[in-house]
Amino acid sequence: MQTRTLRNGSRLRRDIAAWAIMIPSIILFLFYVWEPLAESIRLSFYTAQGFRTIKFVGFQNYRQMIIHPDFTASVANSFTYTALSLAIGFLVPLIMAVAINEVVYGKNLARTSIYLPNIVPGLVTVLIWRFIFSSDKSGGLNMLLDSLGLPGGTYLSNPALVKPVIVLTMTWKSAGATTLIYLAGLQSIDAEHYEAAIIDGAGIWRRMRHITLPNLFNLARTLMILQIIAVFQILYEPILMTNGGPNNASISMMQVVYRYAFEHIDYPHAAAMSVIISIILIALTLLYNKISKPLDA
Amino acid sequence: MTYESIGRGAKRAVRKTGKLTGKNDGIVRGYDLRKPHVKVFYAALTLLCLAAVVVSLLPLIYTILGGFKTIQELTRGVKTVGPDGKSVWRMHLLPQNFSMEGYIDTWKKTKFARHYVNSFIQVAGSMVSACLFNGLFAYGLAILRPRGWKIALAVVMGSLLLPGTTSIVPLYININRIGLQGSFIPLWLGVGASAFYVILFKNFYEAMPVSLIEAARLDGCSDLGLFFKIVLPLSMPINMVVLIYAVNGAWSDFLLPYLLLNNSPRETVMVRLFTLGRSKQVSAIDLIRAMMYAILPPVALFIAFQRQITSNVLASGIKG
Repeated sequence: MQTRTLRNGSRLRRDIAAWAIMIPSIILFLFYVWEPLAESIRLSFYTAQGFRTIKFVGFQNYRQMIIHPDFTASVANSFTYTALSLAIGFLVPLIMAVAINEVVYGKNLARTSIYLPNIVPGLVTVLIWRFIFSSDKSGGLNMLLDSLGLPGGTYLSNPALVKPVIVLTMTWKSAGATTLIYLAGLQSIDAEHYEAAIIDGAGIWRRMRHITLPNLFNLARTLMILQIIAVFQILYEPILMTNGGPNNASISMMQVVYRYAFEHIDYPHAAAMSVIISIILIALTLLYNKISKPLDA
Repeated sequence: MTYESIGRGAKRAVRKTGKLTGKNDGIVRGYDLRKPHVKVFYAALTLLCLAAVVVSLLPLIYTILGGFKTIQELTRGVKTVGPDGKSVWRMHLLPQNFSMEGYIDTWKKTKFARHYVNSFIQVAGSMVSACLFNGLFAYGLAILRPRGWKIALAVVMGSLLLPGTTSIVPLYININRIGLQGSFIPLWLGVGASAFYVILFKNFYEAMPVSLIEAARLDGCSDLGLFFKIVLPLSMPINMVVLIYAVNGAWSDFLLPYLLLNNSPRETVMVRLFTLGRSKQVSAIDLIRAMMYAILPPVALFIAFQRQITSNVLASGIKG
């Protein structure tokens, strides 16, 4: 790399040329990533008329937002979503990866099939599951129950079931990609570990407990945080499946932003909500970086 | 008995008894299967895989089949005469006949061809933008490295921390302020600011042989010429990875396209699907068919590039 500085004229001219090549991309990053963050923070302290900011009001927007019932419902829901998604969605890819790694027949079929939902656009996934959980008898699940001679039920309009149903939808979409990552982790386990354990007389349970699971631990920890980050950003599911209902039982934090900004055209409150979500997500991302560091080493 | 003959014997045994008993990787080995409880465990694993395949595919199959039905079949079922002589409506998974007529009918009625064209324009521009802007940025960071390049690196790495979805409100306001609503340009350029792609390109360029770049420099190639003549053509593997992600991402992208293009002549497939999905007047059958139109291109892409896509996930690890 040293020779680079010796050729084609002065170093300054070369530096300017190189920066000129990067400037368009840097401007895009500033426009799409950095400026919106600054603008969110600024906007959240002002009142506005449409796009025009009117006057500085300090933390008033935050205060009004926090006492709004949408806010408390969405924050509570986000924690329920996270808990449910860890309970339902966290172990599924792990178990699937172990199973697929072990089977001999149909390995490729299983791998391809479980990844297919990931290819389906998010919006379509939500609509598919809206059809399946439809409460009339044309709904896919009710059709299935009917053919088994069982009575159908209501799902999306049932406050107790709506959140698990949304988490199932998310799990269906994302579990396949996560399974492939675990599969890569399983394949990188040194075969000698297993051979040594077999020679020592370890049965399959002990092989799994002492070799497989410890080797996946770092990966699982990392993927868990990525999953939580994803759950905090859900938007399509509640908007299209339930519109946040019944009675705010499924409203998500991003949907609060959406409601303020694009249904009430109230950008300052939307910005305040964005800032709060950003703080949560940045904290989670920092945690993720801290935890996933040993993975790279 | 020599070692060789043992080896041959083992191979013969594998051939004779199949892949299963000869399995010599992972947790369960072929000879473990002689134990009954391992057999049960292994059978459970196989059933689990089968169940996963069914759960993954059944919702898609249900949707495809739904699109073939008539509106009455889909929402009420088929009228059949029960054993007691009374007629009842029964739901069936399979449509009564597999004619493409319904699919074609809805396609014409919803004027979906226009949305396909719009989506293709959006995707094509995103492909160019994904490789050009992220590639040039990575080229500066990995190869040119002018003084102060670490500041530029911080612009990229820092943006990994910032959640994209929360920036939507100010971004929408800014795009409106510069008068680009109803245009594809902000969607195209947005793909050009992806930290994930920049890092993929940067890692690839850093592993490129320096001698090639030096040789081109000696021939009097300019920095920009070097990128287009040497670096970009030599990076086909990573270009493919980024392009596959970019195509899928652009096709599926919905929120910003909806905010910018809704009610304009440039509505993409996802924008149209969202308005169909939220509208109370749209019949279920038209919606389910429109969903199939929206799935078709990404699934075709997946089938064509299946191997690359599944190995991408493994190679690039976790997408943020």
